[in-house]
Amino acid sequence: MISADLNIILPEILLAVFAMLALLGAVYTGKDKHATVLVWATSAIFVALAFWIGSTGGAAQVAFNGMFIDDGFARFAKVTILLSAAAVLVMSAGYMERRGILRFEYPLLIALAAVGMMMMVSAGDLMALYMGLELQSLSLYVVASLRRDSAKSTEAGLKYFVLGALSSGLLLYGASLVYGYSGTTLFSGIIETASHGDMSVGLLIGLVLVISGLAFKVSAVPFHMWTPDVYEGSPTPVTAFFATAPKVAAMALFARVMHDAFGGAVGDWQQVVALISVLSMFLGAIAAIGQRDIKRLMAYSSIAHMGYALMGLAAGTVLGVQAMLIYMAIYVTMNVGTFAFIMSMERDGQPVTDIDSLGLYSKREPGKAMAMLVLLFSLAGVPPLVGFFGKFYVLRAAYEAGLAWLAVAGVIASVIGAYYYLRIVFFMYFGEDREGALDGGKSPVLWGFLMASAVIMVVGIVNLFGIEGVAQAAAMTLVN
Amino acid sequence: MSLFLVVALPFLGALLPGLMNQAGRAACAGITFVVSLAAFIGLLTNLPAVLAGETIKASIDWIPLLGLNFSLMLDGLGFFFAFLILGIGLLIIAYARHYLSRNDNMGAFFTYLLLFQGAMVGIVMSDNILLLLVFWELTSLSSFLLIGFWKHLPEGRQGARMALTVTGMGGLAMIGGMLILGEIAGSYNLSDILQSREAIQASPLYLPALLLILLGCFTKSAQFPFHFWLPHAMAAPTPVSAYLHSATMVKAGIFLMARLWPVLSGTPEWFAIVTTAGLITMVLGAVIALFKHDLKALLAFSTVSHLGLITMLLGTGTAFGAMAAVFHILNHATFKAALFMSAGIIDHEAHTRDIRRLGGLRHLMPITFIFATLAALSMAGIPFLNGFLSKEMMLEEANHTVLFGSPWLVPALAVFGSLFSAAYSFRYVGHVFLGPKRDDYPTTPHDPGPGLWLPPVILVVLVVAIGVAPFLAEPFVKMVTASLLGEAAEVPKAYFKIWHGLVPALYMSIAAVVGGLILLAVYRPALRLWDAAPRPEAKVIFEALIENVVKLAQGLILRSHNGAFSRYAALAMSFIILAGYYAWTTGTVGDATRTLQPVTAIAVAGWATLVAATIGLVFLHRNRLLALVFMGVIGLMVSVGFIFLSAPDLAMTQITVEVVTIVLLLLALNFLPKSSPIESSALRRSRDTVVAVAGGLAAMGLTYHFLMRDAVDQSISAFHLANSYKGGGGTNVVNVILVDFRGFDTYGEIIVLGIAALLIFALTEALLGGPVRARLLNREPDMPQAGDAHPGMMVVLTRVMMPVVLMVGFYVFLRGHNEPGGGFIAGLIVSIAVVMQYMASGFNWAAARLRYPYHGIIGAGVLIAGLTGIGSWFVGKPFLTSDFTYVRIPPFEKFELATAALFDLGVFLAVVGAVMLSLESYSRLARRSERPDTEHPIDIDPSRDDPENIMKAGG
Repeated sequence: MISADLNIILPEILLAVFAMLALLGAVYTGKDKHATVLVWATSAIFVALAFWIGSTGGAAQVAFNGMFIDDGFARFAKVTILLSAAAVLVMSAGYMERRGILRFEYPLLIALAAVGMMMMVSAGDLMALYMGLELQSLSLYVVASLRRDSAKSTEAGLKYFVLGALSSGLLLYGASLVYGYSGTTLFSGIIETASHGDMSVGLLIGLVLVISGLAFKVSAVPFHMWTPDVYEGSPTPVTAFFATAPKVAAMALFARVMHDAFGGAVGDWQQVVALISVLSMFLGAIAAIGQRDIKRLMAYSSIAHMGYALMGLAAGTVLGVQAMLIYMAIYVTMNVGTFAFIMSMERDGQPVTDIDSLGLYSKREPGKAMAMLVLLFSLAGVPPLVGFFGKFYVLRAAYEAGLAWLAVAGVIASVIGAYYYLRIVFFMYFGEDREGALDGGKSPVLWGFLMASAVIMVVGIVNLFGIEGVAQAAAMTLVN
Repeated sequence: MSLFLVVALPFLGALLPGLMNQAGRAACAGITFVVSLAAFIGLLTNLPAVLAGETIKASIDWIPLLGLNFSLMLDGLGFFFAFLILGIGLLIIAYARHYLSRNDNMGAFFTYLLLFQGAMVGIVMSDNILLLLVFWELTSLSSFLLIGFWKHLPEGRQGARMALTVTGMGGLAMIGGMLILGEIAGSYNLSDILQSREAIQASPLYLPALLLILLGCFTKSAQFPFHFWLPHAMAAPTPVSAYLHSATMVKAGIFLMARLWPVLSGTPEWFAIVTTAGLITMVLGAVIALFKHDLKALLAFSTVSHLGLITMLLGTGTAFGAMAAVFHILNHATFKAALFMSAGIIDHEAHTRDIRRLGGLRHLMPITFIFATLAALSMAGIPFLNGFLSKEMMLEEANHTVLFGSPWLVPALAVFGSLFSAAYSFRYVGHVFLGPKRDDYPTTPHDPGPGLWLPPVILVVLVVAIGVAPFLAEPFVKMVTASLLGEAAEVPKAYFKIWHGLVPALYMSIAAVVGGLILLAVYRPALRLWDAAPRPEAKVIFEALIENVVKLAQGLILRSHNGAFSRYAALAMSFIILAGYYAWTTGTVGDATRTLQPVTAIAVAGWATLVAATIGLVFLHRNRLLALVFMGVIGLMVSVGFIFLSAPDLAMTQITVEVVTIVLLLLALNFLPKSSPIESSALRRSRDTVVAVAGGLAAMGLTYHFLMRDAVDQSISAFHLANSYKGGGGTNVVNVILVDFRGFDTYGEIIVLGIAALLIFALTEALLGGPVRARLLNREPDMPQAGDAHPGMMVVLTRVMMPVVLMVGFYVFLRGHNEPGGGFIAGLIVSIAVVMQYMASGFNWAAARLRYPYHGIIGAGVLIAGLTGIGSWFVGKPFLTSDFTYVRIPPFEKFELATAALFDLGVFLAVVGAVMLSLESYSRLARRSERPDTEHPIDIDPSRDDPENIMKAGG
């Protein structure tokens, strides 16, 4: 009985055991001397697990009486999470090493966060949800303040922690209300009591609070305020990590709770999710316009992108979840490339994040500038780049679910948002070659990721690498 | 040739010039020409079928789930545009070969040009609107690269930016429109959408769809109010201007309006928006063009004006208007491309495009003079040239158009626009070619080689041919019109003739031409008037708009995202309260299942104390010690509340935890100033008050609501009450839950507790080992401290109490299984007893008497608990299964022995160790150098006789 359960969560167990053993091992041996090796080992394990999970097909399995669900949806999210985490880890090694901030705890904290994220997307119970969420969050709080000697980084970590704790509190409060009014913490039990039109106030308030807590984790408006500060303050590789895997995990968890636990009451949460979606899209688009710091800009960009992903969720249909999954996978790929570029932005060996420093970048680095151009157009959702397909999917899902106003609002927001992406392109191609321009940044690893990401954006238009079918199958396991 | 091949050829061919850059200019241009020619011929092979009225289709699946298929179709309209794109493209390529200088990167230029050409052909041949979108944005992208080809020119940069921003954003807006169209029609295939006129026009989403699509069309085709980007894109090399900005790209918007004409036109919204925009653009462009001194700027604004004309014709929604539009598209493409090329030749030869520095060129450049004049006269609308014919049709259509209820508004403005159009056309001839020869040209111009003049001459031949023999173009134009109209309307019966008789359109045309001549005659005063008149410069407005939007965005964002924590929290809380309100109002509310209990005096008194302490805390929180006292009171009242609500176990836990945390906070206060400074403004405090009061009220309402109702049918308490004794052998349900039902959780928790304590210890060690140690040791307290830190009374009292408290702890521990109590509470009680020893007798004294290190105690606790759990394996049961039995040891009564008690002992030890280790760590931080701890427990001890004692007593 229990061995069957343990078999199902074997990937998580392996990763957790690896993290703990590596931690102990490194503490008692060379500590930071092993950091680089650990980074590569951790990402290798991520990739191996991703392939393992990706290749296990079959029907959905539950473990621990339904507290842990291993279905197509979870597998899709896990593969995305693990691969993007591996990519960011590999990218960060060189960057952090050069700046002397590569600690051996970093890859291990990321590994633990990954365990948390895998737990989140497989959660079938409010308790499991919370455990995964906190394991992930606590690891992230620490990595946010990885640069202990930098006031900004410390502030970022603290801010993230306090606001994160607040949101966790909300989530718990909501969870307890849900439990109180459904009599169970199992999603499969909650869904039996939560049906549209007949939601008791307690359940509904619990739902709203749970949504608020989850909205914080995906940094949706109005729980987004931490994002720019944390993105700006954290070391760039950490920011890159924040912008990728945890977003997928939180989004997947969001979908999981909404559909598995409240799938019978779509009408009740649809409006709330649609509202935070539209707020996120517009705030992200408008706020990024005035930004000069590319990391802050990416923070607002990620807020806007979460708005689009939430649009898919708000649809409350199979197509919606499928669109959301596709959107997230594309978003993560684009962000890996973009952050590879941001990490390579430096002058005299110091990282630069000022957009003005990109003036006439195309003249010095035509290849990288072209790759970045592709990524930025893709982020803006300009056809035919892959980013467009993600956006079109969510728009369509929203439209078909009767949320035409949301789809139209999303289009308008994307028009506004395009301005700041195009502005960067403009700087790179037609800006002024002023003093303080970038130099260096010749890391082959970063270059490789940037180019790979850009190439995916172009080649992917052929068939999106077949991801849509997989995402559809995954979405069908969630929505029924 | 297959349609796929026609579209694919330019894209595939685009690789060649880039790769062949080393092979020389001629090779680059040559291969580009060959590629285009191949595509052109491929297109022509389809001509017979198109002329026969067929629609050729080809399709392969791309992303069918999304509704995106690579479907192409070629009908009359598509053929017409593709013909223009490829045909003029060939001429442009030949022209560019000779136009670009040696320093320009030919390979890159022709690569971009072919990419652009492919994208344009793709737009006009798409059968799928998503595919169309893809090609649409590809033209934006490639035109961005072409416009910015001369990056060294600052105006080139400006132009590229504006073009990209405006058209790129317009294209994105169109995505929404296409989505709505596709969803209404149930298919993204144009051929299906074109059948769904009724469904689309009846849909409530027709207007948003129309607006979004028109946004894309208007930005692309530079219609008012987006007309400003086109003239600024003119910094591009002239072949680019001629190709993109007169013949092809700017016509993409027109094409789309024509393509969707059958489904979108005919409604009042369409008529009002499209006609008005077209009319304004036509007049505005014509007026501005007259007063531009840059040849290309003049032509650019004239292009804007003519695009407006076509838009207006499409806007009228009549079949005749549509036919006039088609005809004018053809005519405009021919004469305007020729004019652009002539401007390029002049620029190339004379090295200036400023009309004021030119004049008299007819003597120096006779060939250029002849073809440019013919093209310009066609633009002015002179008979026997093609421009006259379509302008006549336009005026005819304008005569029948009633806008805003006024029958003369459109005709009058049309004449006004034509008048200016004639004027600038005449100016192009008069001020550039006519007049006396000058001797101050930057370089003396002369006619270029045939490579430059042959392409425009070919176009001008067409201009004249159609102008003289309009019947030649008639079948073709009618065929195109038929496919434009689809099934929405019949092709009008009108004939293409130069002489229609003395119709009003002829008078209007004459008035325009004569008026144009007069206007040119009084050009100088008119120019002075124009320069003096205040006029809004669109570019300035655009820049100001952008700047203001950026400022607004910054203002909004910087103000709300200023890093202030309280602001973030306030915003989040407000939203939650609102969301909660939404839930409150939409959820179903059952009847209250419980009644209010009678109000007792004790309850009221407790409540009043609690509220008073809370309010006191809010108002006096700046005095930190006072705040701590209030917190103590609140904690105490909560414990009392638990007792009142019959939860003695909770009360005991709460009260012991309260004591420990207050002690902990006291230790922390040591490092902080006595009072918190005032940093918040009155405004912020009032905001916080509102949020807090709203939050409090919401919580109160919720609590009241929940207390009055049973949450779920079956509370879990019943299960525990029923099984606690049976399964766990105890009657104290809480304790049984802790040590038995959820023993596994408790086991985890004590481990976490132990780890936390160890962590605090480790942090303290790290701090004391670092530079912080000196600062801690030498810090100045902010107020004088009592000399007698360890008073004798306190020492005596705590020592007397110690065994008593330990006994109480033991008692609480033992009774835990059946009565309120248990290992956790007992652990806290014992900890308090030990802490008191530290406080009373000093750290050193207490530490010296410590026999077992605290982390050892923690370890022992965890170990005992773990071994207890493992013990159950030996009797074949799962980990942590408890068992109990009754034993009797004389002379005691029969009593119960449960393995759970052993587990509880582990909990007890872990709690004691963890609490003590963390408190000890904190207090180590609090030590200061000025007051070294003595080994004596009492500071002033009369029985002692050491110097320190005497000194303290004396001082």
